[in-house]
Amino acid sequence: MQTWGENPLPLKQEPLWYKDAIIYQVHVRTFYDSNGDGIGDFQGLAQRLDYLQDLGVNAIWLMPFFPSPLRDDGYDIADYRSVHSAYGTLEDFRTFLATAHQRGIRVIIEMVLNHTSDQHPWFRESRSSRENPRRDWYVWSDTDSRYKGVRIIFLDTEMSNWAWDPVSKAYYWHRFFSHQPDLNYDNPAVRDEMWDIMKFWLDMGVDGFRLDAVPYLVEREGTNCENLPETHEIIKELRRKLDEQYPACVLLAEANQWPADLRQYYGDGDEFHMAFSFPLMPRMFMALKLEDRKPVTEILQQTPEIPTSCQWCLFLRNHDELTLEMVTDVERDYMYDTYAQDKTMRLNLGIRRRLAPLLDNDRRRIELMNGMLLSLPGTPIIYYGDEIGMGDNTNLGDRNGVRTPMQWNGGWNGGFSAADPESLYAPPIQNPVYGYAAVNVLSQKRSEHSLLSWMQRIVKVRRSTRVFGNGSIEFLYPANHRVLAYVRQLGGETVLVVNNLSNSAQAVELDLQRYKGNILIEMFGKNIFPRVGEQPYIMTMGPYQFFWFRLRRI
Amino acid sequence: MSTEASTREPPSQPRTEGNSAEASFLTDDFLRQVMNVGEVDILVGLPTHNNAKTVGPIVEAVRAGILKWFPRERAVIINADGGSRDGTPDIVTGASIDDVRRGSKLYALRTLHAISTKYGRTPEAGTALRTILSAAELMRAKACVVVSPESTTVQPDWIQRLLRPVYNEHFDLVTPVYRRHMFEGLLMSNLLYPMMRAIYGVKVREPYASEFAFSGRLAGELVGRSIWSEESVRTSAEMSFTLAAITGGFRIHQVFLGDKSHTEHRASDLVAAIRRTVGTLFWTMGKNPADWMSAAGLQPLSTEGPEYELRVDPVRVNRKRLWQLFSAAVTDLEAVLRSVLSAATLSELQRIAKLEEDDFRYPADLWAQTVYEFADSYHKSVIDRDHILQALAPLFRGRIFTFLIENCNGTSAEEVENSVEALCFEFEKLKPYLVEMWRREVRIS
Amino acid sequence: MREMVVSELSRALRDIAQGAARFLPRLVVMLLIALAGWLIAYLLKVVVRSLLLWTKFDRFSENTGTSQLLKRAALPAPSELLGRLVFWIVWLGFVVLGVSVLGIVGLQDYVAHFFLFLPRLLVALFIGFFGLLAATFFSRAVLLAAVNAELPSPRLLSISTRTVIIIFVLSMVFEDLGVAEHTMLVGFGIAFGAIMLALAIAFGIGGKDLARHFLEKKLVHGEKDEREDELSPL
Repeated sequence: MQTWGENPLPLKQEPLWYKDAIIYQVHVRTFYDSNGDGIGDFQGLAQRLDYLQDLGVNAIWLMPFFPSPLRDDGYDIADYRSVHSAYGTLEDFRTFLATAHQRGIRVIIEMVLNHTSDQHPWFRESRSSRENPRRDWYVWSDTDSRYKGVRIIFLDTEMSNWAWDPVSKAYYWHRFFSHQPDLNYDNPAVRDEMWDIMKFWLDMGVDGFRLDAVPYLVEREGTNCENLPETHEIIKELRRKLDEQYPACVLLAEANQWPADLRQYYGDGDEFHMAFSFPLMPRMFMALKLEDRKPVTEILQQTPEIPTSCQWCLFLRNHDELTLEMVTDVERDYMYDTYAQDKTMRLNLGIRRRLAPLLDNDRRRIELMNGMLLSLPGTPIIYYGDEIGMGDNTNLGDRNGVRTPMQWNGGWNGGFSAADPESLYAPPIQNPVYGYAAVNVLSQKRSEHSLLSWMQRIVKVRRSTRVFGNGSIEFLYPANHRVLAYVRQLGGETVLVVNNLSNSAQAVELDLQRYKGNILIEMFGKNIFPRVGEQPYIMTMGPYQFFWFRLRRI
Repeated sequence: MSTEASTREPPSQPRTEGNSAEASFLTDDFLRQVMNVGEVDILVGLPTHNNAKTVGPIVEAVRAGILKWFPRERAVIINADGGSRDGTPDIVTGASIDDVRRGSKLYALRTLHAISTKYGRTPEAGTALRTILSAAELMRAKACVVVSPESTTVQPDWIQRLLRPVYNEHFDLVTPVYRRHMFEGLLMSNLLYPMMRAIYGVKVREPYASEFAFSGRLAGELVGRSIWSEESVRTSAEMSFTLAAITGGFRIHQVFLGDKSHTEHRASDLVAAIRRTVGTLFWTMGKNPADWMSAAGLQPLSTEGPEYELRVDPVRVNRKRLWQLFSAAVTDLEAVLRSVLSAATLSELQRIAKLEEDDFRYPADLWAQTVYEFADSYHKSVIDRDHILQALAPLFRGRIFTFLIENCNGTSAEEVENSVEALCFEFEKLKPYLVEMWRREVRIS
Repeated sequence: MREMVVSELSRALRDIAQGAARFLPRLVVMLLIALAGWLIAYLLKVVVRSLLLWTKFDRFSENTGTSQLLKRAALPAPSELLGRLVFWIVWLGFVVLGVSVLGIVGLQDYVAHFFLFLPRLLVALFIGFFGLLAATFFSRAVLLAAVNAELPSPRLLSISTRTVIIIFVLSMVFEDLGVAEHTMLVGFGIAFGAIMLALAIAFGIGGKDLARHFLEKKLVHGEKDEREDELSPL
């Protein structure tokens, strides 16, 4: 049974809490530096929890904070049962966890199952000799011709999925960077050990795991080594154990796949609780540029039903590039040409920019996209900094441009750290448009009309009803294709969402025949709109405007 | 690609029909559809009337062309239907690709609209075109193309060939050049082309085309004019279009497409064809004489691909019949011709009408003179205008006889083209005669 | 006896003188009316002619072929003609009015008849004018259509059309004027019927092959002339 540290947990043990969650994605390193070493830490994060509580989020997803050579921003783990010294100690983490729970905020952490850092002791042992007990913990081969044809994920840096190890004079398999050798999941010892590691953290009190790179756990000859049945078996096993011992904890899948493949990760409700909606995300951006709802409605039409206990995770941006793997070539070219004309923004079949720069810092578009994020079916994830409209720095290599220090105020280092600016883990954004002098939490808190204040309001409206997280969705298809309209329903509650995807004012006729007799109550201002009658419901909308209406029959 | 611009500035045309007139011309239902489509970049106009047999492949070719060459552009197919009873509009609207029709297997980046409306009570090409122009103006379309519902030879590639000069290079009108048999389209090559070339100074090869493209600017210009109540414009808007573009100083471009579709024609269609083309030309000449009287010299017209391409495969034509019809008509229509032609021209016609078939020739200069006098008589309405046009038909047959003799089977395409050039030269040479006649108030017989 | 003759003569002379004395003033009045009528009629003629010239009536009638018709009949231009017509009608009207003043018994009736007759005269002229127009127009239309449709004898068809229309128009005119109504009606009926019968016989018997060929060409689209390729003019 899990314990919650020293203080009793105020959170209720709801098994389906994740369906009503609003998740905040953050890296401890980027948030707040409490000890002045230029790197964010857990004590700092704990101190800033009240900010998150004010924002209205009720869950945090933490990026990897384990000991690591940090050649892949912590996803190359060297020790699974500890905390990187730069971020604090295990005790600091426990304290943070307890504080979060006290504020009603759950914590999901990363668990990189697929691979470790080549600095991990396991790998050091494994490569030392062919007879080493841990030899079989990784995937070794004498040639690099096994698993031919399997796609390379980090196209910009890697030439092959095999890397030659001069120490053991053999090739090892790595789906990601060459310094991240893949673990061998055909070895039961590996599976047992990984579960043990998960138990370690669950016992400490974490509320779930985001399992990174799950599609690639198992390899088989003659396949693309993704989404194999054996992989699903492993996940089912993990889930079974989790349900037995930690019933309110969740598994969140990171599987960048087409909807049909993604569906498999839910199993029959016996695999992942949640999965990221990768196919939908780029299409939201595409729909906005095209001023046409077709990309969104079509991908959702193609998305299969998932078990009722399962949930999609929606997001606009995250720590990685805006991935364009799951779109057609025509769509990818369109996205590149419209969102990333500057080729330096393009990385690994994606675009490495934050939300605000992608949307030209257009407040209306930022609001619209967040409105869709919070009203489409699924659990929304807000990437740290996007709630204040932070910018990015594409001069930082790889994807580090979107992982700059959080901007708290207009002062020293943007309020992130008291250290010398030169010693920060990464420089804060400083240009006049997105720099910390212009974009920061403090100044936005003081304004009722800032983006931050608006985000707080919309999160509050979202949380005022369970229909967004738990309800069904039915698309209306008005003849005006620039308008995306849908109805969310849960029990007796019905909410109508209408989004104008276009840069210009639009008139739209909605077929609300089924809801004849209902009055529309706009959910932000709580004003009444005309009752639905026989005729199509005509609405006029400003550029990028959206409405949430509660339908009430009075 | 040359980018010749006309030397004339487009004259500012006062809009004699206000916005309310356009709006009331379109039905409420169509306006609603237009509103829902919103602004577009590309507009394809398809005027139809009971074309279910041929329109299906044409719509698919259009759609394929848009998806291949303009996948990112906002596009719409507008069907202006004259009241079909065979389901033609449904075939056209079925081509749309949107998130409602999930059966469509075609992939498209964005929604492709296809909407349809029934215009007026009777099918008229001009009214159909006016509907398309009005829609183009309301949708602020940048580039538009009209495709005939009977053009079975349309290729997807034609769409981009016609549209690209308008969309990317900002031409206002793009007319086609077809690969034709040397004896097809003789009204074009023996009358319309030489005459328009001579009087307007522009070498538009196909002024009456089934497929052509135009800019939103030109569409807006024409929609506002008060020409739509005129009979000849309502029945034949294609000619009016070309003439309006020429006289309005718009940038014109020609592009080679391919084979022209063969449509069923009978001899009696010649009069109808003359009404639609020559009638409109004469009427337009009379409406704005300053436009052509002042035009001097030949302005170059940018053309993509060959300026002409003729097939010279042998055909069987009943030449004797043409000669017989001509000779008989000159006698039978003497009273009519006396009102229309000058004494000199008439007597010359009567002289050649008496010749035997082997000796008969209707020379190019006499033909040019005949046509010009007809134009002048039409302008002065010496007798009913429609009768004047009807009287031209048998004379035209005589001219065709001579053209066929001069370019009988075995002639090369170049030689045929040379004889057309020679005809053009005669028309150009006689232009001053036309101008002088025109300026006289009364016809001197 | 001599005295009787003289007294009778004197009485007769006295009667004549009295009659003349009664009659002469009326004659003067009549002449005055006629003169006034002449002036008014002349004025009206000028007005009508100016009006017609201003509305380009001559141009219109040129279009319809009336001018040519009138020229051939050695008549003046339409506007002039109408002006003169107006003049004569108005002046005649005044003259007749003046005559009625003379008080000649029996003449009054004729005067009344004359004024009753005027509208019908106008109608008849109207019918005649437009009838001629129609005859010209339609005969020309038939001529052109026949030539272009490659019908045999287009001129014959044209003249026939014109003749039929003119006969028809004349019948209407005479009927309207009330001149030999029944004769005209019967005569027209006979003539028209004869023409139609003649055409039927000619077409049906004499030209039955031609008729068949013509009908086949028009109604049966199936078989095309295989020896010839169709060429489109456009």
